[in-house]
Parts: sequence; C-alpha cells; structure tokens
Amino acid sequence: MSKQVPETIKKQVKRSFNSKEVKKEKNEKRMKLLKEIQTKAFKRAEKYEKEYLEQEQKLVELKQQALKEGSFYREPEPKLAFIIRIRGIVGVPPKPRKILQLLRLRRIYSGVFIRLNKSSLRMLHFIDPYVTWGYPDVETVRALIYKRGHARVNHQRKIIDSNEMIYDKLQKFDIVCMEDLVHEIYTVGKNFKHANSFLWAFKLKPPVGGFSTVKKSFVNKGEHGNREQYINTLVKKMI
Amino acid sequence: MTTQQLRPIVSVFPIKGKVKTIKQVPLPSVFSAPIRPDVVRFVHTNMAKNNRQAHAVSTTAGEQTSATSWGTGRAVARIPRVKGSGTGRSGQAAFGNMCRGGRMYAPKKVWRKWHRKINTNQKRYAVCSAIAATAVTPLVMSRGHRVNKLPELPLVVSDQLQSLTKTRQAVKFLKFIGAYRDVEKVIRTKKTRVGQGKYRNRRHVLRKGPMVVYARNLGIKKAFRNIPGVETASVYTLNLLKLAPGSQMGRFIIWTESAFKLLEDIYGSWEKPSKFKSGFYLPRPVMVNTDVERIIKSDQVQTVLRNRRPRSRKYGKKIQRADPYEDMSVMVKLNPYYKTKLQKQKELEEKNKKERKEIVDKSRKEYEDWLYFSEEEEEEEEEEEEEGSDEDREIEVLSDEN
Repeated sequence: MSKQVPETIKKQVKRSFNSKEVKKEKNEKRMKLLKEIQTKAFKRAEKYEKEYLEQEQKLVELKQQALKEGSFYREPEPKLAFIIRIRGIVGVPPKPRKILQLLRLRRIYSGVFIRLNKSSLRMLHFIDPYVTWGYPDVETVRALIYKRGHARVNHQRKIIDSNEMIYDKLQKFDIVCMEDLVHEIYTVGKNFKHANSFLWAFKLKPPVGGFSTVKKSFVNKGEHGNREQYINTLVKKMI
Repeated sequence: MTTQQLRPIVSVFPIKGKVKTIKQVPLPSVFSAPIRPDVVRFVHTNMAKNNRQAHAVSTTAGEQTSATSWGTGRAVARIPRVKGSGTGRSGQAAFGNMCRGGRMYAPKKVWRKWHRKINTNQKRYAVCSAIAATAVTPLVMSRGHRVNKLPELPLVVSDQLQSLTKTRQAVKFLKFIGAYRDVEKVIRTKKTRVGQGKYRNRRHVLRKGPMVVYARNLGIKKAFRNIPGVETASVYTLNLLKLAPGSQMGRFIIWTESAFKLLEDIYGSWEKPSKFKSGFYLPRPVMVNTDVERIIKSDQVQTVLRNRRPRSRKYGKKIQRADPYEDMSVMVKLNPYYKTKLQKQKELEEKNKKERKEIVDKSRKEYEDWLYFSEEEEEEEEEEEEEGSDEDREIEVLSDEN
C-alpha cells in the first residue's frame, strides 16, 4: 500500500515558513555571513597585531629618546583596569556593597574590566579592601576573553563559542570578532561601554598557590588594592 | 444540525428468515443530539435517589436510660452514667455516641431529603444524550455490550417483534439477530451479591443486557420478560436509569420500526418541537463542528495566521566549548589569524635566532683570531728573547720589575 500523505499535511508543508526551500535560503545566507565575518576577523587581527607591536616599540623609543636627552618620559596613565573581588559576601558595609554591585562584582573571585577615570578611581577607593586591581596587558585581556569570556545574551550567560555571537550583538559598534572585542577593551575605545557590558563578569578560580593575606593591602605585603602590573601574574594564577 | 434531507438512513431487519435489509428509515434527529456525559451523570445521580425508601434509626435508641453524670471528683470521666445498682449496667456510661449502648451521633431521621427534584429540561437533555449514545458503537461496546455480530447499530427491527408472545420466539429472535451473545454474557456472569443485600431479598446480581424498545405492546413485554438481562420499554416512557445504567451511556437497544420512527415525534428536532413534550426542542450543541484540529488546519484559518516565529533560542542548550589555548580548532574558529600569527612568530624567532647566531659566531671568530694573533706575537717575542744581548736582558729585567 503506497503511503498517502494527508492533504492537510501537504498544504501545511506548502504554506510552511520552515519549508525546505526557505530553510536552504536562510542557511546559505548565514554561511555567507559567517564567511564574511571570518575574513574580516582575519584582517582585523592582523591589523591589531601590528598596532600592538607598534605601540610597544613606540613606548620603548620614547623612553630611550628621553634618556638620551637626559630627561624623563612620563608614560600615559593607564586607561584600563581589571578588578578582582577577593573577599566574600559576608559582613560588607552598605557603601562598598553597593559599589561592588554596580561594578558587577557580586561574588568572590569575580573580575571585571573598568575604564579608569576620576569617578571610577573614587569608586575603587571605597572598595579597595575587598578587591585587588591593576593594569592588564594585551595577553591578559586576551586570555580572559578567550578562555573565560562569556557573553550576556538574552539575560543569560553564554560562553562565546563563535564570532557570530559577537557579530549579532556588537555589529552596530563595528565589533565583529574576538580580536575586535579584545582591542576595544584593551585600548578602551569609543564603544568600550558596550563591549564591556556584552561581557558577563569573569568568574575566576581561586589563585594557584593562594593569597598571602587579603586583610592587608598589596603595598603592605597583603593582597588587596592596586597592584598595577602585577595583576597580570595574578590573573595567570586565577584563570 | 441536520435537515430532513441530510439525515442518514438506517436499515430495518426482519425478525426471522435472513438477516438483510427489508426497509430503510431515516435516522431520527435525537441521534444527533449532543452527547453530554456530564449532564447524564448529574441527572442520573439525582434520579437514582428517587426510588429510595426512607430509613432511620429508632428515635429512642440509646436514650432509654435515666443516666446522669457523676460530676467531678470521682476519678471517672464525666459522661452520664446509668443510675442504680445491683446490675452490671449500673454505672456504665450512657447516651454518648462513644458509649456502648449509647445513641449514635446524629441519629438518622426519616425526614432526610431522600428524593431529588431535577429540572425537566435537564432530564430531557439527559435522555436525548443517552439515546444518541446508543447509536455510537464505541460507546455501546465500552459499556460492555457484545455487539460485534450485529448487522447494524442502531438496531431497528420490523414491527412483528411487538406481536411475539412466547419467550422461545423471543430467544430465537435474539439469536437470529446476533444479540444473544449479550444475553449469554448476562447469564454467565450472574453472581451472588456481595454484601448484606444478599439476605435482604437482593440475592443475585445480573449485568444489563439488550433493551427492547417498542411502540405497542402486543405481547412483546411478556415474551422478553423472563430472559435474563433483557429489559423492555415503551418508546413513550424511556427511562434514563435504563438508557444509561450507572450513568454510563451506551445501552444496547433493539428498536422496533414504529418505535424508531416515533422518536422523531417524541423528541422533535431543532426546527420542529416535540409533539409530546410541549415546547421541547432538541438541545443544541455548544460546538457544531467539534473537529478542532480540522478547523485549525483549514485553509480559511491557516491563510490568515501570521508566520511562525523561529524557535526562540532563549533557553537553548548550554554550549560546551574547549579551552582555545588547548584546542587549536576552537582557537582558529574564534581568531582565524591565530595560525598565521604563530607562524609569523616562529619565523621571527628563527630569524632572530639566526641573526644572533651570526653575531655570536662573528664575535667568537674575532676572539679566536685575536687569540691566534696574540699567540704568534708571544712566540715572536720569545724568539727575540733567545737572540737578545746582555744589555737587552738588563733592560728586560728592568722592564720586568716594572
């Protein structure tokens, strides 16, 4: 007996939004878009590598020049900081508690990027005993975003598993791939706010080898507060 | 709602001879009435209360003592106790429902409301539903009737059935038409009643067999009277308790032809009222077309619907992904430039290595050269020493001191 397809089903398939042809078209479009994104990603990554290298070299040059002239080269103040909360939830007074909330540092060993300006520095001042922070370099930013970068998609925390995810959300800010994201964060570009809020707060592991004492500041051989470039070694232990 | 022209046809069968259609009659409108088990259940439960007999406990039961409580201070419960002495009964608790020989809690009264009034229209609705259900084979089967061998449901038989007088004829007819299997079931499953009814003149329990509905009793009542499980009824007085025993619709009914035709007059239709029940029209269904799936899938509905939205990836599966620093394929997916970058780094390293090697080699060579030349000079100096005069020696001595 030949299998007869009911007419209602036939009609349904014809009318269907998800019919084979429509699906095929959509898929083709998507594949094309993905290819575009990947080619863009390649080119931009190349560009950024050059840029970072140039930056480094420029810095060295300027320092050397200053030495030659017998003066000093004052490096530009850092624009980007990475904050890690190193104290738990219990017994935090209201003001630091609120500031930690605002910075999305809601749990211990969570980390966020923040742009440094007068306002944010004052915020950091209040929460110094509860966090450690410093100035991350490119490799730290990269490692964080690649390994522990989760996106905020539809009020959910989803791991970034392809550039398509970034394209969907940040295309209007001309950020289409991971390297774009890294660049925007590291150089604190025009769309830093959007790039940063796209990222969920980083959930880091407790540091390998432990802390000395969180109660003291880094300056006093403890752990909290500003530790400038040493944040990079710490993140390596916590990532 | 069917009109006269659209009503289906039902065959009429003879009562003996060959089982084949001798006539065809249209199906009365009652059989298209809405089948409402909820209405039938409601009406049935209330109707069934109407043949109850009042019963109660004696008004004086448990009260025929002059018991009084002993009060407190006697190390006994404060329940009324039988007065007097000299018998076991004295001092025993009385009156309470918890006491032995006491009156029960809330003694039953005869003026309990035994019967129930049901709205006439509801009653008629239920009967219409029940009649309609008797034509639905799945319902009749699910009620438990053995109807596999019947030529048709509803089963309509010629009016000659009404003239039967002998039970033997009746049984022969039932066997002829294929209804006897149902009777056999009844006979087979006759049991002694479970419970106290067995010694209250309700000893045996029987199933319900076929019901024979006639228009005129010309002997049919007596013919079928003694066949276990079979009931007869006049079409004018169909009883819900018989049509849906236990409020379960789908009694197996054998209609005589005139009874079947009378149904149209007795219950009317949606256009014409009943001739016997004043002002009664058949109940209307809530939905005319109950095939909801078909309605939804129809062209009229589907063409007006908006397109289905793509399945929301809102609460999608948790995406697993390897660490890009450990899995190169993941890294390349995220950063297509990565492999090239590594290559370039490697090239740069090698270039630097080569350069460094050259520099190191060069400086080593220079050092070796210098070493070689300095050795030669020393040798030359030594040679000169051997050839030299005392004066020179002196000078040398001086120089050595220096």
